[in-house]
Order: sequence, then structure tokens, then C-alpha cells
Amino acid sequence: MKYAFWPGCVSKGACPELYTSMVRTSAALGIELVELYDGNCTGAGVISEHSMETADALNARNFALAQRLGLPLINICSTCQGVQSMAQQRLKKNAKLAAEINQTLSDEGLYYDAQKGLEVKNFLWVLVEDFGLDRLKSMIKRPLHGISAGPFYGCYILRPESILGFDEFPERDTYLEQVIEAVGCKLITYEGQDKCCGFPILTINKKNSLTMAANHLSEAQKEGADFLVTPCPLCHLNLDAQQPDAAKYATVDGLQVPILHLPQLIGLALGIDPKELRVDRHVVSTNKVLSKLTATPVHA
Amino acid sequence: MAVYQHDVLIIGAGLAGMRAAIAAQLEGADVAIISKVHPVRSHSNAAQGGINAALGEDDSWEEHAFDTVKGSDYLGDQDAIEVLCREAGPALIELERMGVIFHREESGRLGSRSFGGASKARTYFVGDITGQAILHVLYEQLIKHGLRVYEEWFVTDLIVEDAVCKGAVAMEIRTGNVHVIAAKSTIIATGGLGRMYEPSTNALICTGDGISLAYRIGAPIIDMEMVQFHPTTLKGSGVLITEGARSEGGYLLNSEGERFMSKYAPNMMELASRDVVSRAEQTEINEGRGVDGCVLLDLRHLGEERVRERLWQIREIGIDFAGVDLVKEPIPVRPGVHYIMGGVKTDIDGKTPLEGLYAAGEAACVSVHGANRLGANSLLDTVVFGRRSGVATAERARSVMGWTPPSDRYAEETKRKLQAFLDRPLNGDRVAKIRLDMGNMMSELVGVFRTEEQLRLAVERMKDIRARYEKVGVENKGKVFNTDLLFAIELGFMIDCAEMTCVSAVARKESRGAHYRTDFPQRDDANFLKHIACTYSPEGPQLSEMPVTITRWQPQERKY
Amino acid sequence: MEVKLKVLRYDPESGKEPEYRRYTVDMPESATVLDSLIEVREFHDGTLSLRCSCRSAICGSCAMRINGRARLACKTQVSSVAEDGEEIVVEPAGNMPTIKDLVVDMAPFWDKIRAVKPWLQPSGPPPEREYLAPPQAMIELAEVMNCIMCGACVSDCTVLEVDKSFLAPAALAKAWRFVHDPRDGNTAARLRELSEPSGIWDCTRCNFCVQVCPKDVKPMDQIMKLRAEATAIGITNNAGSRHTFAFTSTVKEGGRLNEFQMLPRTHGLLNIAANLAELPGGIRMIRAGKMPSPFTHKIPGAAHVKRIFKRFEHAKV
Repeated sequence: MKYAFWPGCVSKGACPELYTSMVRTSAALGIELVELYDGNCTGAGVISEHSMETADALNARNFALAQRLGLPLINICSTCQGVQSMAQQRLKKNAKLAAEINQTLSDEGLYYDAQKGLEVKNFLWVLVEDFGLDRLKSMIKRPLHGISAGPFYGCYILRPESILGFDEFPERDTYLEQVIEAVGCKLITYEGQDKCCGFPILTINKKNSLTMAANHLSEAQKEGADFLVTPCPLCHLNLDAQQPDAAKYATVDGLQVPILHLPQLIGLALGIDPKELRVDRHVVSTNKVLSKLTATPVHA
Repeated sequence: MAVYQHDVLIIGAGLAGMRAAIAAQLEGADVAIISKVHPVRSHSNAAQGGINAALGEDDSWEEHAFDTVKGSDYLGDQDAIEVLCREAGPALIELERMGVIFHREESGRLGSRSFGGASKARTYFVGDITGQAILHVLYEQLIKHGLRVYEEWFVTDLIVEDAVCKGAVAMEIRTGNVHVIAAKSTIIATGGLGRMYEPSTNALICTGDGISLAYRIGAPIIDMEMVQFHPTTLKGSGVLITEGARSEGGYLLNSEGERFMSKYAPNMMELASRDVVSRAEQTEINEGRGVDGCVLLDLRHLGEERVRERLWQIREIGIDFAGVDLVKEPIPVRPGVHYIMGGVKTDIDGKTPLEGLYAAGEAACVSVHGANRLGANSLLDTVVFGRRSGVATAERARSVMGWTPPSDRYAEETKRKLQAFLDRPLNGDRVAKIRLDMGNMMSELVGVFRTEEQLRLAVERMKDIRARYEKVGVENKGKVFNTDLLFAIELGFMIDCAEMTCVSAVARKESRGAHYRTDFPQRDDANFLKHIACTYSPEGPQLSEMPVTITRWQPQERKY
Repeated sequence: MEVKLKVLRYDPESGKEPEYRRYTVDMPESATVLDSLIEVREFHDGTLSLRCSCRSAICGSCAMRINGRARLACKTQVSSVAEDGEEIVVEPAGNMPTIKDLVVDMAPFWDKIRAVKPWLQPSGPPPEREYLAPPQAMIELAEVMNCIMCGACVSDCTVLEVDKSFLAPAALAKAWRFVHDPRDGNTAARLRELSEPSGIWDCTRCNFCVQVCPKDVKPMDQIMKLRAEATAIGITNNAGSRHTFAFTSTVKEGGRLNEFQMLPRTHGLLNIAANLAELPGGIRMIRAGKMPSPFTHKIPGAAHVKRIFKRFEHAKV
């Protein structure tokens, strides 16, 4: 299995542990990643607030880079997934826009065939749809029994369904739960798991942003989650890095919910050394999870 | 002394009610609207196709008026029709200026479509959501003007003292509290009564409240036999599929794939007036050329683009409620109860013969629709006569002398009446069952084709229905949002209306417009060029006659 | 077909907390959830209260939560939410107080609609006849005119959940309807008001409103258009607009986002208090080994990205 790999900006910035764990875990799974070193920001839904056409052109550039490699695109960010899916739809519908963008892209020898399109999948989707959870289960060396995990999706990988391929894959809103169970964790569900983490308004309305994070984290803690897992580094930033500040809006005492990136969770189950997965590089300590982990036997 | 008192009280917040309110307030009156639902929930929403006005350069209000007179099968009052059509242009422009996003030509001017029974393309529209688009804009104007709305208040009675209507008694649905709302003038703008039939295109709230309320205090109700069957209502749920579908070029096909309208209306085809098309469809179905009790409306040749721009809502309706995408397949439709031409008798200013009482919109009968309403004339009716009644009631507020508000004892009377209902024992019968039985009976016996025998049977059946109604209990005894009790009261309104429809239909021994008697298939101007009026008596509706006003268009044979 | 419903019941007169009650009704295959609820109300339990009227997704009365998501009961086929005859959970709409059973108090909803001054405000005297308006503009407005004010978007709005003052999707979509109307003469003032706190910049772009809207109004998309319009006419003195600019400019310079530069650019470099307030967070991140580089990391094709901006930033295709 081989993908053009779009790591996103955050895994190269504030969440380097995501990048590292993705590379390590993919290697263990036998998924070959060809990184788009020259890829650009998808716009994260922010640039489109400023100029939709610019955002579409930026995404077309990434798509063109992947198409040149002849590979499907894999991302590790719910936000990237949503933005890329939306851009694809617009480019497909608006031939005039696609043509104008391609004219600009041709200066660097790029072309995006919008009609042919490009498969763009988050690592979560790849795991379930391309790799297969049975195959994953067969590779597990360290089943995470006795650990309770809750999902946190990130908005853009769930909504709107009409652009996210739910017609073909109607169960995409249950994949995290499936993965959590596949790696042997006890599944914890809670109301806020498909809601917004609050990150997009962190610098605009901090109180609202942190209250959102606090609500979800409190619920998860109340339900008994040892940690949450997310396929979105932006959610990770708000749920993990902001958690100490969010604690003042929490509805539980002693808020302490570690947040793992999806590749970290998979890596742990595959028996990879937690240090290699940079599980220590979080604001909220993951020790609670790791201590339960050491109690779990590693199958050779 | 009543706590609530206004110059003008308007019952109903659809297009007619809101238009009346805005007009009365602009004339300086203290106005309030009372409505059992929030204004934007009103059934005016459901009008899809458009609103008529002779604005085109090749058109004239006289042509519009003639089409309307002819459409009415000469039962419409021509003085009123003249007012309707003369004021149509200004009324439409006014709506546009308020913000309605009417369809435009490339030039930026208003664009129109052709509707049934019309000799010119004079129907102005917003896709197939015209009623909704206008209703929401009028609600915006209501906000702008800061108009008072008693929202989710349910009128149970009108107050009449010394033959003057002095307001209403209403129940606040949220609390169950009952209040008197005194008013120098009361405008009935409660819309239609389609729910007395089953099925019907009408919303669940269309229960003839205002018609019955006016009837109970002695106002004459006319033309109640004139029930419009819309030619294209969706199989199953009976939801409306706009006439706009045919005006955009849709075909009606029978089981043999034939455009059967060529047999019934060779000139106008699918765009003949509604009564004609409904009868044609029913004939095809009765003679075995239907498809599962329906005919087919074929829009495939219009193409997806045009549908997306102009008929998006009915496409969605077809997909959601019949599982049919009209871009790909013809949709099954049949005639269904849609509109009551009759209602509370008014003059051209909305005034009823009962002092202090006015009516506008579907609940009223001016009468501009006569025996058959043309498509897209109903929205026009609401705004033209809504405005006029608003102006007239404001005028009355200025001029009325020595008016004294009614006492609060009316609220006590209503409370006792409601309590009596709540106290009745449950007897196994249900309000919903009685309504359903009545609705089915009405559809079967007082339908597109009628006979003396059927109609007399219907009159008899209505007696049973009423007897059951007088014994039925309600299960919910609470005060807060007791819809159970509400439906019980509404059923009483519908029974009044259905009785009027049945006895009026027996009396009209001819065929005219929507009222088609297979035993009297011809129009009989010598004996029936007149309105049949019902007035209340404890024994049931008493019938009388009222003349039809003819100004310049003498009755002639009606062909499409 | 047997339809199983689990309905959240609440009667303020009973003094009891809300509780679920189960009903099983026999319905035709094509039945909607509303048909089933009406069947319950009419023939099984007359004490059940809900609002409904048109049965055809036009009056907006019957928005409620069905299996946890805001929907119009009349537009929801039983078969679409309970394919194999599962129990259907029916609850009142969210973010609004419940009056009784499935009936919620929509007063806060209407207050916000009123707050955006939702009526056409043309400038100058009216023309002799209708206003001239490009046909395309009217067609574009139809998307938002499709809104039936059912409140589904408000029910599931994640911002409203934490902040009752947020204007919320329906009112903001309504505001866009006037901002975009070529006949309206008050665009700038409208956009200024909408850019205030609790307005367009408070939307967190969670897409719930887009997902649950039964009329495809896409309220969030309209909010994003309002942001673009406000920014375009220079209403930029707010954290939201600065955030967008900061984000966009770092991408424009290096091809990728630079988070380090985001905060000072959003607060404004000189807003020392706000920047200091971020310090503990920054220190935490440095300790965790997560601090992004303060330098712009340029991708190899950064110059091409810049060119894309130059070409499309102000283009409308």
C-alpha cells in the first residue's frame, strides 16, 4: 500500500509527535508514504473565509502533486480531510474555475484533473477501508485490554456527510469506535464525541472555545475514559494543550484526560516503544495510560 | 373590563392577516394579531406557484378580470373581481418593494409564467416557494412595524353584543389560560378548512375556525359547496404539486401514455382551469386509464437545470414523500381537496353584514373566485382584500362612537365550556376517529363528481358525526399545551363547515365550476346564478340566496 | 410495519423530571416519523404534545431530535432512521427550553431573528415600479429564502450550547439574505453589527447546521460569506478578522501555516496583555516539546503559492 502523504501544517509545527508517530506506525503497518514535501496548507477553512478561489487553487495544487505521483492521498487531519473533500467537489462542479486554476498551476508544470479526481483519505478511513481492521487485529502485539478509550472525531471528518463520501461509506461516523475496539480497548462513548473541540475560535472567543473542550473532556472523564483518541491535530491542540486552561470550565474536579493521536494508538497496539511514538510529548501526561500499558503483556 | 383591548384584532397570521395588520397600523390603528401558530407556520407557506397581476405590456387588468370571471364560471361577483384585478399590480409591486425575491428576467424586471385558465403569462413567482417567500417577507414587515402578535393563542369564541362583534375569547395554548380580547373590529383571516376532507393538501391547522366562529355569531357564509380539487396532489400523502409544474410545461399522461387533456380542453390542454383538469383526471381514472388511482405528471423533458431553478421544492417533495425523482420519472398525482371558494360573506372592504366583523383571505368570500378559483389568484386575494380590510377597520376605529368593551364574563363562559369538555367521560370514541370518518365520508360523497343521492346521504352522515362529537371526551386534562383539547374544539369548527358544504351542495342542482352534479350536468343560469348562503340555527344551517353581481361580463359558455 | 418509538416526555404540571415513554404503532411502509407520532397522539396517547402542521417540510413546526440529531419529523421516513425496525428515539429540539414533551420555547430563536433587523432597508426613494435586480442575485438568495425557520440548526449549534448570546445559524443566514440583496442599502451597517461579539466570528465552523438543515440552506456557508464581505469592506478591527488575516498571510509567505505567529498577529502585536495571557500556554507547549518554530518555514514551492494568492485573492470565478 502506497500513498502520497500530506502531513498537514500542524504535524510539522505544534504537533510534531503526530508526524513522528505517523511515520513510525505506517512503517510498522507496511503502508508506504511518499511525502509531499512541497505541499501547501489546505487553508483549514480559514483562507476560504478570505477567498474561496484561493483556497480551491491551493488545494488543487496539492491534488496535482499527488496526481503526478499517480497515488491516492492520505492525510492525518480531520480538518484537512474536510477542506480537501469540499475543494474537490467545487473543482469538479466548476469547470471554469478548475481551468483557470490549472492555467496558473501550469507555470510549475502541474495539472489537476478534477473530473478524474483523486482519492483523498484520512488515515482513519485508510485503516478501516483500505487496510482492514481484521488485518490490523492480526498484527496487534500489545492488545490494549483494560484501558478505556473514547473517540474524538473532529467536525470536518463527519460533516457535512454529503461531501464526505457517506453515500458509499455510511459507517464513517463509527470508525473511531471500531478502531478503539479493534486494538482491544474498552470503548467509552459520550455525547460530545462528534462535536466541535473549540479550536477554530480559540483566539477569537477563548471562553467559548475552552468551555467546549471542557464539556467534552468532563463528559469523557465522567464516563470513565482513560484517554481520548483523535484523528485531528487541531482537536488535539485544544483538548490537550489547552486542557489546563479548560479545566476551570470543567464540570468535573481534577480534569485529566490524555489525548492520543490516532497513529499513536495504533503504534502502541503494534507494540512500538511509546517513546518512539512521542507519547511523552503531550501537555496532559499520558503516564496514566502508559502505566496500564506496561501491565499488558507484549505478545512476541 | 378586558385586560386586552385593541382597535383591530386580526385572527390568523397568514398573508391576509399580516397584510391587514400592516395596513391597519399604517392607518394609525392599535392593532394586534392573534394566531394559533407562529405567523411563519401559517398555511400561506404552501402556496407554491405564484401570484397573479396584469403587469405585462400586452396585458390589462380587464383581461385578468375576464379570465377570473370565466374561471369562476360566472359565480364570482364582478365588482369584487374588478377590484382584485385593478389592485393586483400595485399590490405585487408593493410586495416586491418589501423584499420578496421575485423571479427576474435578464433585464432585471419581474418575470412571469402562465397559469391555468389565464390568457396571458401573468403569474409572478419565487421558484415554487412563492407563498413561503411572501409570508416570510410579511413577517419581516411585522417585525419592522413592531406589531403585537398573540402567538399560539387559540380563539374559541367571538363576542357579540347587541349584534356588534366586540372581539374574541382565546386560550393561551402555553398556559391554558383564557382571556377576553376586546376589539372595535375583528378580522377573520383564519384560512381554509381542508382538513374536513381526507386526504387534503391542507395543513393540519386548516380547520375552518374563523368560518365557523363567524357562523356561530350569525354572519352569513356563502358558496360553501364550492370546494376546489387541485389536479395535482401527490399520491399517498396528498401533498400539493404546484400548478407551476404544468405551467413550466409538464404533461399529464394516462396509463396509455396519452396526453389526455387534448380530449377535454384542446386549446389550453394541461393549463385549463383547475375544475376542468381535475374532472378530466377523475374521468380517466374512473374509466380505467389511471395508474393505481392516479394519473402521471411528466416533467422529464424540462431538464434538470430548469427544475433546479424553478421547481426545486416539488422535486424534493416527490423524492421525500413518494420516492420519485421527477427529473427521472413521471410522478403519480390525483385530484385532491385544496381550497374553499366559499366563506364568510364580505363586501369589497372585508366587511361582513355583522357590524364590527370583517374577513379576508380564504376564510372570506368576497366573492372573487365564484365556483372555481384560478391558480395564483388566492395569494392575490389575500394581499388585496387583506389590505382593504385593514384600512376599513382602522377607519372604523376612528369613526365608531360610544363603543363599550365587553365584560370578562365571556372568558368565564368559555372556561366553563372547556371544562365541560374536559369533564366528559371517555367513551371509546376519539376526536381523531370522528374527523377521519368525516373526512373519508366527505371525500367519498362530496367529491369531484356529486349526485343528489350521495349528497343527501352526506347530510345524514353529518348528523351521526355531530351526535358522536357531542359525546366524545378528551384524554389530556392538563393546561399546558393541551393539543388534545384544541383538536376537539377544531373538530367542532370543521363539523359546522362540513354541514354547510353538504346542505349547500344539495341545494345547488346544477353543475358550475368545482360543483359538478352528474345528475344535473349543465350550468343553469336561470335558477342558480346566485350565491347560496348559510346562516346559523340550532337545527343546522338555514339556507338563503344572495344575488351575483354582474358588471360587464354576461355569462357565456365556458370552454378551454 | 411496526414502528417503535421512545419519546422523551415532559409535563411541567406533573412535577416530574422528563422521562422516556415507549410506543409501538402499526404504520404503512412509507410512514414518516411525524405520521407515527400523530398516530400515537391521535389513537394511543392524547397527552402527547408536539407542533406540526403542513406535513411537507414547509411550515417548519416539527423540528425535533430524532436519534440524537435535529430533523423535521415530517421529512424523516421511518425507514431512513430505523432500517431494521429499531427503536427510534424522539426528543425535543436542543438549545431551547422545553415547554412540554416535544414542544420547545422558541422565543430566544425569534429574538435573534429580530436582532439582525430582518427587513429590507433600501436607500433612497423607491423606483416607479419594481426594483431592477439581476436574476442571478435573486436565484442566489433563494437558497437562504428556503429557510423555514424550523430551528433545527439552532437545536444542534455547538456554539449556542456554550454561549446563549451567539446569534446562531438561522439569524445569521437570514442576515446574509439582506446583505446580499442588491436592493438593500444598509449593507455596511449590517456587516459592522454582525462583526460584533456574538456575531459572525463566534461561529466555530462545526458544520452541524449544514448537516441538519432540512432545506439545504447551508447556514454556515452564509456565515462564511458574511465574514468575507465584512473583511472585504474593511471591517477588520476584530480578533476574527485578524485571525483570518494572520493565518492567510503566513501561508502566503511560506506555503504553510506558522502557528507561532498566529497569536500575536491575531491579538495584534501591540496587544501586550492578550499576548502575555497566552504565555502559560506557550510555556506548557515548550515543556512538552511542542513549540512551533518562530521562523517561517518555507516549502520549496513557496513562490508558486504566492503567485496563486496574487492570481486568485481578489478574483471571483
